[in-house]
Amino acid sequence: MVSIAHNSASNPLSSQGISRLEIASMALDALWSNKLRSSLTMLGVIIGIGSVISLTSIGEGIQKSTEDSIRGLGTDVLQVMAGSAESGGISQGQGSVTTLTWEDAQAIEEQAPSATVVSAYLQQQAQIVYGENNTSTTVYGTDLAHPEARNTFPESGRFFNDEELAIASSVAVIAPTVQKNLFPNQANPIGESIRIQGEIYKVIGIMEVKGSQGPQDRDDAVYIPLTSMSARIIGNNSLMGVAVNGIYIKGEDESQLDTIRFQVENILRLRHGIISPEEDDFRITNQADILETLTTILGLLTTLIVAIAAISLVVGGIGIANIMLVSVVERTREIGIRKALGATERDVLSQFLAESIVISVIGGGIGIVLGVGVTFISATAFGFPFILSTTAIGAGVGLSTSVGLIAGVIPARNAAQLDPIVALRSD
Amino acid sequence: MERLYRNLWIISLITSMITLENITKTYHLADIEVPILRGIDLHIEASEYVSIMGASGSGKSTLMNIIGCLDRPTAGEYYLEGRELTTLDKNELAYIRNQQIGFVFQQFNLLPRATALENVMLPMVYAGIPKTERRIRAEAALTHVGLSDRITNRPSQLSGGQQQRVAIARALVNQPAILLADEPTGALDTQTSQDVMNLFHQLNEQQITVVIITHETEVAEQTKRRIRIQDGQIIA
Repeated sequence: MVSIAHNSASNPLSSQGISRLEIASMALDALWSNKLRSSLTMLGVIIGIGSVISLTSIGEGIQKSTEDSIRGLGTDVLQVMAGSAESGGISQGQGSVTTLTWEDAQAIEEQAPSATVVSAYLQQQAQIVYGENNTSTTVYGTDLAHPEARNTFPESGRFFNDEELAIASSVAVIAPTVQKNLFPNQANPIGESIRIQGEIYKVIGIMEVKGSQGPQDRDDAVYIPLTSMSARIIGNNSLMGVAVNGIYIKGEDESQLDTIRFQVENILRLRHGIISPEEDDFRITNQADILETLTTILGLLTTLIVAIAAISLVVGGIGIANIMLVSVVERTREIGIRKALGATERDVLSQFLAESIVISVIGGGIGIVLGVGVTFISATAFGFPFILSTTAIGAGVGLSTSVGLIAGVIPARNAAQLDPIVALRSD
Repeated sequence: MERLYRNLWIISLITSMITLENITKTYHLADIEVPILRGIDLHIEASEYVSIMGASGSGKSTLMNIIGCLDRPTAGEYYLEGRELTTLDKNELAYIRNQQIGFVFQQFNLLPRATALENVMLPMVYAGIPKTERRIRAEAALTHVGLSDRITNRPSQLSGGQQQRVAIARALVNQPAILLADEPTGALDTQTSQDVMNLFHQLNEQQITVVIITHETEVAEQTKRRIRIQDGQIIA
């Protein structure tokens, strides 16, 4: 010891105190020395942040995929559906009575000046068989305008023609998923015969891939002439003509949809003999309306689920606060020693606050990784787009820091305000 | 004449290490007032080797807490190196403890998870001394107390005497004005106690002011000046 000369405390406020890095490393040391407890405490935050991140991202992904698939159906299309008939005031559900006919569609085409494409369709789930293979798919009976109305065209072969529609010919155009299921080893199934509910149909075309986003797989379908569908597969024609499930109507562009809607309403009311106060026996919907409704509902659902997840974060925060309180009591003597050696209240406060924040931030970091992982796995498994929600990650970082801060305040204040004499006497 | 006395008094404040003037401490238990210290006057000069003796309940621990800036007197004045301390706030007192007082406790009071070196570095952490300098000074302090080969040991791996020497190194590392030891040999056997007392003696020879609070006569006899306290008053 060279210099025994002592310091003299001339300016108490000149003490710089401890750097933040040092406080953080002290906190890490303290947490490391109690690994099991620290990691169990962290678990609350991990689960909380993980679920907030993954649920937000999954919600966004599903929303995006739903939007895409609805947009894929075309927002420039109006859809007229056979409405729910009412009997004694009780709605019997959509399509319970086929009030729409092919003739309605033809009338709209002739009489609605703004409607450029009109296409009626029948639709039914049916079993399709080819040799050993069979698959259940949606069979559409359509007219010739269908490809244009739905914006889906044959990739190879052709769609059925005027003559085939007129004579209810047994020809079918299959979509890619059906092709894959029925002809797994066959490159070109055109010309083959398949059975639709026992009826033999000849494959004349294969539709292009439209993608299978959302609930509806547009590639899982078979198209046959409306006349053939009506006569051979469904076989319950209304008195008014060939019953159909719905009619697609397209105009020049999206701005025409309101005009078309007005014209179609009038034509159908006239044809169906509906006078004003009576309720329509058809419904006209627009994909854009559906899109808006669905987006609202999904957004609401996501918010709700994330709110529930956030509760687990609060529980995690309470866990941290609890453990920190215990830790302060256990380390009363340590706090006394530190104070005797010159730690200020602020030093002790920072130390315990740092421990709480470090637990929470590490937990949050693991939670973010976990949340992103869960999102990625779910997106892959359920086929919706993997969206890394930056807001969710930002919120995760912010939330975990503030959870640690809030949870640590009371324990750290308790520690800081301990009387060093009392603290030194404890064991 | 009066003026001369006053000047002399001021000079004595400046030159003395510790000056206590009519220090009282009273605890309030419910409605009863319990006087612990009843007017202590005390001067300790720089480089003195002093023991404060008294039975338990005599008020010596309270006196030590006040000298060590862990507690404040109810009334009276306390000058440490000429500076009045009773008006200082908590942060300023923490700074005084850090810079001017080196504590040695009966139970050593080392942090159990930290190594000897880390324990000795602790006061310098709160002094805001850079890490590299901390290490150098802590190693020097441990060498000074004869523990240069034990710096990475934790308290549980050290004997009682070694732990107390780590505590003394820690007390010295910020070069304090006084070394304040509370029953420093109370938890040690006779031989180790003697080693520790020899160390105090040696430190005092190097001009360090040492104040030992004890109830053991054998300990007090080794110091150069003995102060006896009884019922909150200095009796000798």
